[in-house]
Amino acid sequence: MQAGQLSRIAVALGAALALAAGLAACGPRAEDQPLQLKGGVPVGAVLSLTSNANAYGQDQQIGLKLAQTWFQQRRNANPQEALELNLRLEDGGGDEATASQAFNLLIDAGVVALIGPTLSQQAFAADPIAQRRSVPVVAPSNTATGIPQIGSFISRVSAPSTEIAPLSIAKALQLTPSIRRAAVFYAQDDAYSTSETVIFQKALTDKGLKPVTVQRTQLNDQDFQNQISSALRESPDLIVISAQAVDGGNLIRQLRELGYRGAIVVGNGMNTPNIYPICQGYCDGILIAQAYSPELDTPVNRDFVALYQEAKGGAIPPQLTAQAFTAYQVVAEALQRLNQRQPLAQLSLAEARKALLAELLGGQYDTPLGEISFSPDGEVLQQRFHVAQVRMQPDGRSGRFLLLP
Amino acid sequence: MSDLSLLVQMGFGALLALSVYLPLRCGQLSLATPGFYVIGGYVAALLSTRWPALSGAGTGYPLTSLALELVVAALVAAAVALVLGRPVLQLRGIYLAIATIALVEILRVLNLNLAWSGGAVGIFGIPQPFAGPGGYALATWVLLALVCWLCARLEAMRLGRAMAAIRDDELAARCMGIPSADVKLTAFVISAVIAALTGVLAAHFLNTWNARQGGFDASITTLAFVVFGGSRIWLGPVLGGLVITALPELLRPVGDLRLILFGLVILLGPILFPQGLITPERLARLQQTLRRP
Repeated sequence: MQAGQLSRIAVALGAALALAAGLAACGPRAEDQPLQLKGGVPVGAVLSLTSNANAYGQDQQIGLKLAQTWFQQRRNANPQEALELNLRLEDGGGDEATASQAFNLLIDAGVVALIGPTLSQQAFAADPIAQRRSVPVVAPSNTATGIPQIGSFISRVSAPSTEIAPLSIAKALQLTPSIRRAAVFYAQDDAYSTSETVIFQKALTDKGLKPVTVQRTQLNDQDFQNQISSALRESPDLIVISAQAVDGGNLIRQLRELGYRGAIVVGNGMNTPNIYPICQGYCDGILIAQAYSPELDTPVNRDFVALYQEAKGGAIPPQLTAQAFTAYQVVAEALQRLNQRQPLAQLSLAEARKALLAELLGGQYDTPLGEISFSPDGEVLQQRFHVAQVRMQPDGRSGRFLLLP
Repeated sequence: MSDLSLLVQMGFGALLALSVYLPLRCGQLSLATPGFYVIGGYVAALLSTRWPALSGAGTGYPLTSLALELVVAALVAAAVALVLGRPVLQLRGIYLAIATIALVEILRVLNLNLAWSGGAVGIFGIPQPFAGPGGYALATWVLLALVCWLCARLEAMRLGRAMAAIRDDELAARCMGIPSADVKLTAFVISAVIAALTGVLAAHFLNTWNARQGGFDASITTLAFVVFGGSRIWLGPVLGGLVITALPELLRPVGDLRLILFGLVILLGPILFPQGLITPERLARLQQTLRRP
């Protein structure tokens, strides 16, 4: 084939696609159409069901499923009052592009609100898209600093690490007052870990425990012997870890295997029972601050725990599941209140999204996390936090988060 | 509209594939593309968030500032490629691949640790020059059409023929008086500039930029574009980039099986078409069939 022909193909190809893009951009906008209520009010969720972050996505998916069951039960009991939701779940993967694409897909499908994405790093890419197109987002698990500040439509039910991270350090010091030498580990290529470790290190310094060493790891690391041996040379009696589930689990395992016997405090990234198969018996005794307590004695939490135990054979629900349940509940209850005040069928999609945002941020919610509400910029206002210690069964395969008084 | 933003990402895929293809065109397996892509992204992210003068007075981010970013990114990438290219291109085959992987890794670690690049969180809140994905699609595909045109012109140009000669036999080419070092360096610099320009558009499109955008995984993905599509003619990498970027998204209706299917396609492609999907012979045959009434 001649070069001239090929270059003509190239120009024609580019021109055709550019024209198509231009035309499509001028087409009718979905936002002006009336809200599609067939099959329930459309709500989207973007969770990490693939990639390394699926350790979190699985927990969250169960939370959304249980919330759907719970609302179904309430609707069966009281058909007039309850509004039906049509939840559409898309995989957000572990990277920015996949999460953004899933957000775009769901927004175009005409959802009134979005739940997700799983990782804070994804939120920085995907949330601005929702903000520009005026779609309310409720984040169930983004704990990094600055998430609600992305825009007026962005809110979260996950308390930021600035609030909860210092609690576990205080608890470790209360349990072992003799602690003098703290070592810090964090995954330096992860947005959540790097922002959480800053808070941990400040909390340590505030308690008069300037870290004796700070070790950096990578999310994809398997082997931590270098970092561990240089940390153990400083003979620490407290180790504070900010990492994600898989690498953090391996790190704890190797710490214990190399002979460290002191206290271990970990951050929110390891706040999932999915670490049990990784560090097994070695998980025993680690401390994690919690935004959720399974022992909270309110009707909604009793229902939630019962549903979870029914689904998972008696296990205790983790925080990520409770937060995902809460995110769904917040959206569903806000929609219900809005519908009572101003029937959704009369609103266009854009109006419904705006009205839902106001309703969402203005409300009070009785959730498995306790009573929560939102600050005007979308930050969650939560009353109580807890610290849990992992207790493993002697076989090392299963365990539980035991709340400390 | 979601199809439009997928079109943008497909365009990025095709551009990065062409950036890998150009050094391959003179027989150089360079995996440095994600490194220059990251450089371009950081240039855009830093200029647009740290330099208020660029933001202009209006609501959107001015297109002239975007053009300035493109120029700066191209210059920075070309300078880096010129300086590194001379020593690195002395290496051949697998050694060049390893050296370029090292370059990508060094850049990633630097970006994670330097104060101005924002560490692992990176830079977020990057302003938007276009109101929606339509503008990005237009810009990306215009850039892609330009690069395709350049690649197609190369077939007929002295430089392109010199590149082909070096690919087939470098020693013979040098005996014929082709300055092989200069030709390889030119290809490397053009490849770097394409990757950096793509990075500028990608940083604005993604709203956020961090060191994870370019790493070893990205090197392998961009290489897969070329292996899948074919490296003998520019249409190959373009097709590879478009298809491999689009496939995981287009397979969404399949649900949980989607990444398994995607893996199967990546596996079966090179097994069934070891030269890539598009080869000059296959194109010629296709053209003959089309011509027949």
